[in-house]
Amino acid sequence: MKAAVRHLLRNRRRSLLTLIAVIVPVFILVLMYGMVAGEMRGFFDGVVKLQTGHFQIRATTDRPAGGALPLIDDPDPLVALVETEPDIERLTVRLDVPALASSGDHSQGIVVQGIAAPQSGKRSPLADLVTDGHYLQGDGHSAVIGEDLARLLDLKVGDPLVLLGAHPDAGLGVAKPTIVGIFDAPDETLSRSVVEVDSAVAEQLVRQPGAATAIVAYVRGIGGPWDAEKIDRVVESLRSELPDGYEILDWRELSPDIGMYMRLARPIMTLFCGIFFVLGGLVVLNTLYLSVLERTRELGIIIALGASRRRVMRMIQIEAGLVAVAGGTIGALGGAALVWIVEAIGGLRLPGAYTGFLEAFGMRPVLHLRVTIPEIALSAAAMVVVALLAAWYPAFRASRLEPMEAMRYVE
Amino acid sequence: MSNEPLIRTRNLSKIYQADGVSTPALNGVDLELHESEFTAVAGPSGSGKSTLLHLLGGLDRPTGGEIYVEGQAMSALSKDQLAKLRLSQIGFVFQAYNLIPVLTVLENTAFVLELQGIVRSQRIERARKILSELGIAEYADQFPNRISGGQQQRVAVARAVVAEPSIVLADEPTANLDTATSLELIDLMRRLNAEKGATFFFATHDNRLLDRVNRLVTLVDGCIADDEVRNAA
Repeated sequence: MKAAVRHLLRNRRRSLLTLIAVIVPVFILVLMYGMVAGEMRGFFDGVVKLQTGHFQIRATTDRPAGGALPLIDDPDPLVALVETEPDIERLTVRLDVPALASSGDHSQGIVVQGIAAPQSGKRSPLADLVTDGHYLQGDGHSAVIGEDLARLLDLKVGDPLVLLGAHPDAGLGVAKPTIVGIFDAPDETLSRSVVEVDSAVAEQLVRQPGAATAIVAYVRGIGGPWDAEKIDRVVESLRSELPDGYEILDWRELSPDIGMYMRLARPIMTLFCGIFFVLGGLVVLNTLYLSVLERTRELGIIIALGASRRRVMRMIQIEAGLVAVAGGTIGALGGAALVWIVEAIGGLRLPGAYTGFLEAFGMRPVLHLRVTIPEIALSAAAMVVVALLAAWYPAFRASRLEPMEAMRYVE
Repeated sequence: MSNEPLIRTRNLSKIYQADGVSTPALNGVDLELHESEFTAVAGPSGSGKSTLLHLLGGLDRPTGGEIYVEGQAMSALSKDQLAKLRLSQIGFVFQAYNLIPVLTVLENTAFVLELQGIVRSQRIERARKILSELGIAEYADQFPNRISGGQQQRVAVARAVVAEPSIVLADEPTANLDTATSLELIDLMRRLNAEKGATFFFATHDNRLLDRVNRLVTLVDGCIADDEVRNAA
């Protein structure tokens, strides 16, 4: 071990190059883990928390995807069923109605979301996004709209909003709530095309008191998509007890684009990082091979003294292992430190094109990075494995040297 | 001295091939080396001295003939078995010292013991002891490039004998040393031969050293021209 360290110190420039080749892929991998987790959390916060909930119970339908949801005449038994689950943090009975919002000469196709006062737990996450006025307070005649819709229809807090509902199960209906709040949603669609109203307003549009289209539920203790298993457990438990004519959809089914991204993000990231790892491994192979060539005579002496082939291989692999462990540790801790620093200064604001990409998915243009200890350890360990594999060939060549030929070797 | 030879060669030959040209280096050498002998092999340059030593030490394979070490035919041994034989029974002293530059004098001396799997405390103790016996204990923590050629060659001798091998092979160990240092080194080897009973077989073309050996083998053109038992000085 001591000799291996001295060998590495003997040619410092080459050892430094090898070290950098090990550090960079690990550093990038940890950073990528942080960014992908940040993106996932962003998507989750933007879409799942604000729009779909962790899961929804809906009436089954043969209507094409994207059409109006069928009405649930009496949601109370479903609410009671969901509330039997101890891990439910909050649920909302929602009545979604396709509608036309009008003001003066302007109109806009929207979805009205009738929100009953929360049955249990916290209020809607949308309440936190209200920048002007306040969120619904359950008075039965209020609405909150997005900034984009307010701009489009030239509306402000206190103005009436004319809604013409057109639900396929109920026909046409009219309501005229008062705008009590304007919210700033990261997602343009949410900001322009969704209006949240008291459930009584939505019921006016379908002319059916107490009706709903979905029970939207949130599970306790969910920080991001990495906690999805908890949601899955609750969904599985409820699915077995659900009466006929209803279905339960989890967040992946409700937002298939996000679900697909989350399934693909890590493999794609791993593939890209794999390329860096291979390049890093090739540098390790190259520098170790040069080192073996340079020390051919010395290795010949060691073999002449009676070192076994396995012993010679191990000597070279120990050197590679030292560089890999040192580089992997530095790279992993460096990446983790950067993630921590970025979080400490409030997240990572990304340049224009990427901001557009994030906003298209309903995310704010600031990434909040997140990396776990197993991911940090895995990144470093992967590089150690790559470096040891890369060291195999130089080590093998060294172990196969003929002592006399090696001792005659002149650089 | 036992009658059973430690090393015996039978019709040993070696032909080097390079670029389609064959160069014979040894031609039918029959030699027996017995326990506790202090033997020199002399001869002009190109007579095959180094080749003979390399073959006896299992560092190279002969083209023909056979070498027996304590009755065991070397040709039957695999590379790893040969390595094990070198490690357990043969000590080497090379003309160019061939110390490992990243190891200190003490670590170089203890290296063979490390290869043998001897625990650190024991190998350090044994290495210090032999360095002390050879008068170079004060250089134990120095790296080879910080000591003189004579001192380096003493370290090489220490490394060769520290594991107490059956035979020490030395290829022109004094070639790079001045006369006084050469005589000191040969006397040192002679002392180790007498005290530890190790068999020494070394190549030299320095006639001043030959009166210190008790057997002189002379090689000419790859053949033994003379094998003379002497009374060492």
